[in-house]
Order: sequence, then C-alpha cells, then structure tokens
Amino acid sequence: MNEPQGVDTAVDLGGISLRNPVLTASGTFGYGTEFAPFLDLRRLGGFVAKSLTLEPRIGNPPPRIAEAPSGMLNAIGLENVGVEAFIGEKLPAIPEGVTVIASVFETEIDRYAEVCKRLTGVPRIAGLEVNASCPHVKSGGIEFGQDPTVLGRLVRTARQATTLPLLVKLSPNVTDIAEMARICEGEGASGISLINAVQALEVDPETRRPLLANGLGGLSGPAIRPIALRMVWQASQAVTIPICGIGGIENAADAVKFLLCGATAVQVGTSNYLQPSIAGDVADGIADYAVRHGYPRIRDLVGALELPGR
Amino acid sequence: MAEEIWEGYGEGVAPIRAEAEVVRNVREGPSSWRLVLRVPGWPGFLPGQFAMLSAGAQQAARRTDPLLPRPMAVYRAATGGDQSDLEILYKCVGRGTALLAEALPGQRVAIVGPLGKAFRPPRSGERVIIVAGGTGIASVYELAARLAGSHPVEVLFGARTASDLMAVEDFEALEISLRVATEDGSAGVRGVVTDLLESALDGPTRGVDVPGSGRRVYVCGPTAMMRRCAEIASRREVPCVAALENTMACGFGVCLGCAAPLQEGGYALVCLDGPAFDAASIDWERLP
Repeated sequence: MNEPQGVDTAVDLGGISLRNPVLTASGTFGYGTEFAPFLDLRRLGGFVAKSLTLEPRIGNPPPRIAEAPSGMLNAIGLENVGVEAFIGEKLPAIPEGVTVIASVFETEIDRYAEVCKRLTGVPRIAGLEVNASCPHVKSGGIEFGQDPTVLGRLVRTARQATTLPLLVKLSPNVTDIAEMARICEGEGASGISLINAVQALEVDPETRRPLLANGLGGLSGPAIRPIALRMVWQASQAVTIPICGIGGIENAADAVKFLLCGATAVQVGTSNYLQPSIAGDVADGIADYAVRHGYPRIRDLVGALELPGR
Repeated sequence: MAEEIWEGYGEGVAPIRAEAEVVRNVREGPSSWRLVLRVPGWPGFLPGQFAMLSAGAQQAARRTDPLLPRPMAVYRAATGGDQSDLEILYKCVGRGTALLAEALPGQRVAIVGPLGKAFRPPRSGERVIIVAGGTGIASVYELAARLAGSHPVEVLFGARTASDLMAVEDFEALEISLRVATEDGSAGVRGVVTDLLESALDGPTRGVDVPGSGRRVYVCGPTAMMRRCAEIASRREVPCVAALENTMACGFGVCLGCAAPLQEGGYALVCLDGPAFDAASIDWERLP
C-alpha cells in the first residue's frame, strides 16, 4: 500500500517504524475507530491516540470550541477515558496492522511517569508521545514545555519510566524552540513533535466575554502553519533526533513543506475534522510528489529545503 | 419490540463523506432558505440525524475561512437509484450560512453524514406532540412524516412573526394536526409555542388520545424554549425528547467540542449521544 511506482515510503521516527510519514495528531483522531467509516486506517503511517491521564477526565464546560480566521480555538480540558479503559477497551478495537502511538498528558511529573509505565509492554503500542503543553500544577499553571528546567525533568522522568520510543510534543508558546528541542535530545527523547496548539483568545464584543468558557484556548488549523514550519525548521537545525511536524496540514503539498523543513514525519490534525479521509490522501499525495520529483525514497526529502545563497 | 418503529434508533445509519451537487438553493423567507443537494451513495437517514456541510461551495481551492463545517438537520430526502436529493432548511445567521446561501446550482458542497442518533420512537398508540421553534422545524419534519398514519401527531410551531415560519405547507400536506403561534400574532395564534404545548397537554384532547396509552413530547428550537417545554412535560410526567444544537468541528465524536452538561454530572456529546436527548437528563442550567 502507498508505494506507487516503487517509491519507498517508509520512515523511522525515533525507533518507530512507519510505512509512510503520515500520522494523525492526538486529540484530532479520537481512538481511531471513529474514522473507520471514512478511511482505511492502514493507509496511514499510524495515529497518535487522544491523550491519556491516569484517571478518566470529563473535560471543560461548554463552549469548548470556537472559530477563528482559518482556524479554530479549543479548550476541551483533558477529556479522556483514562489509561485503563484505553488499554482494555479502545486498543483492542483498533484493526491489526495499524501503528498506534499513545499520548500521555498529566498535571504532575510523577503522574506522567505512572501513565508511561502503565503503557509500557502493552502489545500494539509502538511508542509514546508525551504532551508537554499541559499546565503544570506545581509551577503555578505554566506549561511543562515553557520552562526549560521543568521540561528537562519531565523528559528525564518519562525516559526512565518507559523502554518504548519516546516522542515529546512541544509547546509553541516559547521564545526559543531550539533550546527546548536540545533539552529533549539531551534528556534522551527519541524524537520531538511540534507544534501543539498556539495559545489564543477570541472574544465576543456583543457580550464582552471570551468565546470559550475556559477563556484561553489553543489555536489550530491552517492559520498556524507558517509558524509551525518556522519552528520545525529551527528545531531541526538544533538537534539530530527526528522531528514530527504538526500544524495546519491540509494536503500533501503542506506535508511536503514540513519534510523539506526537516521533519521526518508529519501529523495531520484539525483537517481530520473537516475531511475525515484526508490523512490517507496526504499519504498518497506525498508518494506522488516523490515520483514527480524523482525521489526514490521519501526519507530523502527530509531537510531538502534549498536556501538561497548569501 | 412494538416501539421500534424505525430500527437502530440507537445507532443511526453509518455516515459517508461526499461531494454533493447543489440542485436548488432558494430563498423562502426574509432569511430562510431551502437547499437541495444531490448526494451520491447517500445511505439514507433516520429522523433526528444531521449532516455536516462545509461553508459555501467548493471552488478551485478548498475554503479555509470560515474553517469549520456547519451541522444541519436533514429535513427530508428523495432517493432515486444510487443517489439521493437531500433537503436542508436553514436561516442565514452568520458567515457560514451566508456562504451556503451563495452556492449556485451545479456547484459542489462537501457533506459528511448522516450523523448522530435518531429520535427514540414513540410506543405504539402513543399520542405524539412535536414542538418546534424557528429553524427547529427543520429537525422534525421526518419525525412527523414517518409517524403520521401510525400515531396521532400534533405539530406545534412557533416563531416571532409570520415571515419567520418555514415549510408550513409541507406539514399541512401531512396527515397531522398543525398549530402555529407567533409572538406578534401575524400568523396562527398570538403567543408563544410553549403556551400551545400547555394547552395541548391540559386542554380537551379532541379525541386524539387513545384511552390507556401515553403521550410523548418532542421538541427542537432555542434553548430557553426547549427548557420550558421540558419543564411543562416533566410537571405532567410526560416523557420529553429534546433535540439540541451545538457548535461542532467534526460531528462524529472526535473533537469533543459539542459537550452538553448532564443532570447526573459530566457531559454528553450532542453529535454522538444526541442530538436528541431525554430532556430530563440535560442540565439546562449549565447549557449555554
């Protein structure tokens, strides 16, 4: 599948073997089976499941989402079935031959480690993605990924808690993404995923209130794509571990841009909501691009951005 | 079971994604429109199910602003061969629906559907009272049409003024009883539709009640009106089913954006667990 005219589409994302470089982003693809009516999941490199916490969480009061120019804001608030129900009920329902990456989300470092441990050794889980964009309770609500020291401790603790390939999903709400990427590499992360949603606020002038019950939310969708490309490029210049590019990907051309800027793989996010079969089309389209441009292996596109001479 | 008038109301029909062709898109009132979409491979739908329509026609490039598709009740459908003509009634209220109103015959609109669960059907012999406010009428035509003939059906339709009424002729063509209320009295009785519900439940039943069988209320409209209907029905121990609306990004249980607060605590998803709920299960106080 996905190997038109002999293009080698396989990539290695920090020890996770993917049949092609297209994943779907955590929180935009449920637990996978929701997409079965629209898409053969085996067309994808794999998917990152909805972030898991130790206990089930019911999430934030509504309104939880709002529209923004070429994007959307969300503040869902950790709603998930919890790690046990994921292992017991959701994972067995995912068809064989689909690569599953579990996403881990907590409010304290010790609890992150517990979720990582619980997921380790579970058949079918190919790797973990630690979501470092969650507010850290003990640091007064600042995101884990915003404080270099806290991020370092989180990655070190997660690394010690699991033998699985470990991706760290970085927050874009930082001044220097290269520094955060280097910390992940230094603490033993297998790879990094970026970017998570951009902190944002939208307001209704008539009611003088934020559109979201939570006030602040995360902006995603095509609006953030150039920001994401810039950050992937900067991170790829700073580290040698592989990068998974995320941010407003709508089609294969967008995905190729991320590969050129140094991403080994990509995650399709918000577009899954609007076009539930789109991730499969992106995977096929990247292979077509490789054929058209004479690349026998998709991994040769990684970092192939040509910069103008100085 | 006798109450299973349509099978699989708990599941609905499995959805498809398709590029639909605009057959007709006509204005029927100051801000109300009727859209007819030709959908290849449409699998049919059950009363209460909806579809996600992308905002505006598909041009050379996909539109990203506004980004999200809009949830719309499937009003009714006519099937011929392997394609169906879907009717959607909508009001131009914002950017998404304004763009939809610009879609011309022959242009394409992306659709995902049918989505959500069907209305729980009434029991055999139950008297059915359907209350609709404004565009809520679009969610209940199929319900009324499928129950007409097998159940005594009364539709109570309320709007601010006569020109806000939609599709009245369609309901008049059914074997049902239709009563209209407008706040300014420009059509039907002057007043609000919740008053019609009270009199329907309390007043002389005009021979439609079958002795020994129950009554059931279905309601779709503005939140305040649905909440009031739920109270009216609850006080008389009549089961009430409310079809909720909410902003959604996906429509199939993934974005988790359309949370509705429940009396028992926690949330249900309007797209997956609804849109129709037992009205007594909803925490109306916390519903925005």
